[in-house]
Amino acid sequence: MPKAREVKRRIRSVENTRQITKTMEMVATSKLKRATDRVRAAEPYSNALAGIVRSLYSPEFAEEFPLLRQPAEARRVAILLLTANRGLCGGFNANLIREARLLRERLVAEGRETELHIVGRKGVAFFRFRKVPLALARTDLGDVPSVQDAEGIVEPFRDRFSRGELDQVLMVSAEFRSALSTPPKVTELLPIRPAPGARPAESYLLSPDARVLLRRLLPAYLRNLVYKALVENAAAEQGARRTAMKNATDNAAEMLETLTRNYNRARQAQITQEIAEIVGGAEGLA
Amino acid sequence: MPLRVRVVSPEREVFRGEAQSIMVPAWDGMLGVLPGHAPFLGLLGRGWLKIRLAAGEVWRTYVAGGVLKVEEGAVTVLVEYAGDSPPAVLPAEADFHPDDLLAEPAR
Repeated sequence: MPKAREVKRRIRSVENTRQITKTMEMVATSKLKRATDRVRAAEPYSNALAGIVRSLYSPEFAEEFPLLRQPAEARRVAILLLTANRGLCGGFNANLIREARLLRERLVAEGRETELHIVGRKGVAFFRFRKVPLALARTDLGDVPSVQDAEGIVEPFRDRFSRGELDQVLMVSAEFRSALSTPPKVTELLPIRPAPGARPAESYLLSPDARVLLRRLLPAYLRNLVYKALVENAAAEQGARRTAMKNATDNAAEMLETLTRNYNRARQAQITQEIAEIVGGAEGLA
Repeated sequence: MPLRVRVVSPEREVFRGEAQSIMVPAWDGMLGVLPGHAPFLGLLGRGWLKIRLAAGEVWRTYVAGGVLKVEEGAVTVLVEYAGDSPPAVLPAEADFHPDDLLAEPAR
């Protein structure tokens, strides 16, 4: 039976931990709210732009625009992995990293050249530790990603794809289904393959013509794909952190209950023993 | 039948509501849209976007870069920049002269 004093010390320690996880949970909850608002606010633009690009796209442009190039074979593939800068968010970063690692292994096994571009301290740390060379390692993005951030990330891909140095760009990021569900997903940034089914361009008056419009809109379209992913990732991170911290807080509460019971038992045992000693001593005197 | 107007930037919805008409700075000059306008897709330049609200007053904002879509009484304006004054730095999408577009090579 542990000493009452030792149990008391553990109780205090667990109480402190609970205090911290509880606070982190509340911080994550408030950040999650704002991050979710940003995801919602980004949707109208990105949906509308994607629809317009789908309408304007026509396979014949593929031969004219370097950015719409459709390589027959993806010899050189860039993987863009978006992770968080901070941990304590459950399996959030680990899931993203695993997805990117498996994707890279698969591409290498298929005999393709790969390069890894990583945003977020957690992903950078993992691959640096494994001595994987990184083409890009950015750890300067905050909780509120901006369109400029997205532009900075996507610009080299656009240029290099147009020049033919890259054949494919795949992005690994978290899908923000809800605060509880943030699975990793892989999105193909380049080549651009707009899904058909949108209202065809012929049903609109176009000014200027489809060719010029599309050329002007494609860079914004690509940038928006990355911006949307950054915003979703930020929200998913906060959601994952809130869930992880809630679980930690609940566990601490459960542990406290057990420890408190142990403490009471130990204290009672001590008192019983003391009484027994006193009684024994008194009897000895009589 | 009033126009249903929506102005959105990548980060937020700038305006949403009903309007009698809307004046948009298209790439080659101002463009007015009234109810019943044919379906239209057009590139934006930069300038003041003016919306005549259903009540009659005019709501305005400065926009730069983007695209305008009109279909069946609904106007969607996607803008790279929207604010109370012209931006300090023009977004790349709005940094052109109309002649640049006319002169753009076919390729």
